[in-house]
Amino acid sequence: MQLQPTATERALQEEVRAFLARDRLATADLPRALDDRMEVLRAWQSDCYDAGYVGRAWPEEFGGGGRPPVEQIIVDQELAAAGAPEFINVVGLDVLGPTLLRFGSNEQRRRYVPPILSAEEIWCQGFSEPEAGSDLASLHTRAVEHDDHFVLSGQKTWVSWGQYARWCGVLARTDESVARHRGISMLIVDMRSRGVEVRPMTQITGHAEFCELFLDDVVVPKANLLSQLGDGWKIAMHTLGHERGTAALPREVKLRTWLDRVVRTAGRRELDGAPILTDPEVQVALARALIGVEVLRHHAYRTVGEFLNGGAVGPDSSSVKLLMAEAEQRVAATALEVLGPTLQHADPVESAENDFWTETYLYSRAASVYGGTQQIQRNIIADRVLALPKE
Amino acid sequence: MDLELTDEQQWLSEAVETLLGREWPGSTGSEPGEAAVGDPEALWQALVAFGALSVDRDEGLGAVELCLVSRALGASLACAPYNGSAALRFAAEPLADRLPEAYAELVPGDDSVSVALLEPGRGWSVTGTQTTLEPGGLRGRKVAVEHAESVDRLAVVAAVGGTPGLVLLTADTPGVALTPQPAFDSAVPMSAVELADVDVPASGVAEGPVAAELLRRLTLAGGLLAAAEAVGAAGRLLEDARTYAGERRQFGRTIGSYQALRHILADMYVRQASMWSTVLYAAAALDDDLDEAGRAAAVAKAYVSRSAREVAHGAMQVFGGIAFTQEHPAHRFLRRIVVREQQFGDGAHHERELGRALAAGAGRGHQHSSDNPAASVSAH
Repeated sequence: MQLQPTATERALQEEVRAFLARDRLATADLPRALDDRMEVLRAWQSDCYDAGYVGRAWPEEFGGGGRPPVEQIIVDQELAAAGAPEFINVVGLDVLGPTLLRFGSNEQRRRYVPPILSAEEIWCQGFSEPEAGSDLASLHTRAVEHDDHFVLSGQKTWVSWGQYARWCGVLARTDESVARHRGISMLIVDMRSRGVEVRPMTQITGHAEFCELFLDDVVVPKANLLSQLGDGWKIAMHTLGHERGTAALPREVKLRTWLDRVVRTAGRRELDGAPILTDPEVQVALARALIGVEVLRHHAYRTVGEFLNGGAVGPDSSSVKLLMAEAEQRVAATALEVLGPTLQHADPVESAENDFWTETYLYSRAASVYGGTQQIQRNIIADRVLALPKE
Repeated sequence: MDLELTDEQQWLSEAVETLLGREWPGSTGSEPGEAAVGDPEALWQALVAFGALSVDRDEGLGAVELCLVSRALGASLACAPYNGSAALRFAAEPLADRLPEAYAELVPGDDSVSVALLEPGRGWSVTGTQTTLEPGGLRGRKVAVEHAESVDRLAVVAAVGGTPGLVLLTADTPGVALTPQPAFDSAVPMSAVELADVDVPASGVAEGPVAAELLRRLTLAGGLLAAAEAVGAAGRLLEDARTYAGERRQFGRTIGSYQALRHILADMYVRQASMWSTVLYAAAALDDDLDEAGRAAAVAKAYVSRSAREVAHGAMQVFGGIAFTQEHPAHRFLRRIVVREQQFGDGAHHERELGRALAAGAGRGHQHSSDNPAASVSAH
């Protein structure tokens, strides 16, 4: 049991803070136009990589820092605390990179992993389909085997940053004759291939961060098969668990910056002649939001601790995912409720602040859907933690 | 950063469960109608002999270990004046050389203690206590004093010279009158305590700045132990409900195969697991004397106060009508959970305190984590 940082960890915190004092990029300063934003974000990740803050715990031979995993968490927490934007290659860093490291051949790891870290090559994931959302195993995209290649056809959706991606990790059916989970494989698809078409979709926030992906007889070399034929489901489950398991601590820090922000705003704005923050009901609402964020941190400490000590990311990552969405949605909804009518007061000085909260609220609604819905997480807990009878 | 129990802590937890299985056997059976009975006096002696009160942050038990004991007591619905006895020792131990001798004697001894804090018409805050110690004696009225008739000492929160202090005395001191109150949980007997100009020895009076620190530690630790006990009780309900859902059949299927019930049970699990995480975190923060210990303890007590009852409600929904009968054990766990929800402040109490602290932080222009939330993530 250990809560306080070691001397090494404390030194790292200081180092990152010094880096951020010199070379800080704040989310609020990003250009609005997506192409410009993309270039700034690529440069930011690249700078952070050069400083040793990306892939810090990944193996050195594949471009990583070879340091203990806890150090990456500390770095991510510091970046989140400073209001730095998420790394643009988030899908590569959280999903496909760890998957390549775990399941890829040495050749694949050498080829694909370093440019993920430097953001030279953006990755996306082709998992969900219009007819295969939560029921991922029912996916229809097919990869037909030929001599030295597959021919891939189908449609994918919710492909984050697909319009900028160089590579896509695609789940496709390679065997129709076996049980549906077993006939799935994972392919690395070059987004420049003939037959690949990407159509950005506008989200409820007004941004177009995810895309539809159309695959029309795309030729994929057999060298781009990850692990063995039929391993796709196993890989996807490992990958999604990883995504859920380690994101909570930096996310918690970000949620705390949001909470601090709404507290400051509520202290500054008045309603009916008194600062919003002096209302005891407002204080209790904020306290409840704080409790959600703190409990997320405490629970993540316990579950991530096992992972950091060499354990696997187990089904308990589902409980972290549930708490993470709950905490995020509560903070965002609390801001909406606490700031209330002031969000509509059309004060030009406050318009950027109002936009932040309305956008944050809208964005928070995705938290209970992406990466496996809350209902899927409950199913996982019912099956794998509680071992209840199958439905 | 990790919250995994050490081997010693794991051993302690299992050993206390074994002890309770022996000394409080009625509670381990899951047969409906089986009353939770044992001999409270024998249980207390066994806990003392086991070392469950050996508080010493360096060599003995810290807040984490005390929480492990309280969790086990809650899981078996044991009848013991443990929380007050352990919390006061934990609070006094590092302050012993600044406190009057009664406290220094209490810490290593066997005496059981009950904390008398709550007063008619007031909440769980120690500030503003209406009980006073003046030259004429100790005067006031306390309620919900647990095990008052059987404990060796009462620890009475009272204003001493205008600021909150603590007074240790025995219940048979002249001027102390106990009146049993209806108990929501029959294994947690409660009394009202009338204090009519009680003459108290100076050796039991803590006052001034050291009393403020003593009371701070006492209420933090007491609240955490109450929370840990509720987690224990809720954990038993979750386990029993899970087992039941795997056996009970309706419409030709085990009810645990219905998604509506699976999701209730999954939510209960998430609450149960995260409640325990937050109690452990706060206890470890208290053991390490972190600045955030007070906030963490308030967060834990508030979260457990609401969540343990959620778990109990979920379990009763899974059990169905049978859990509404007196002979089924569910209501006894629910009762323990509700009693522990109140002890040292319920969810609303701690939410108000946390909310006031948030607002006060913003008012000072420097909130605990506004400059750097990561700093408070990994302490100071």
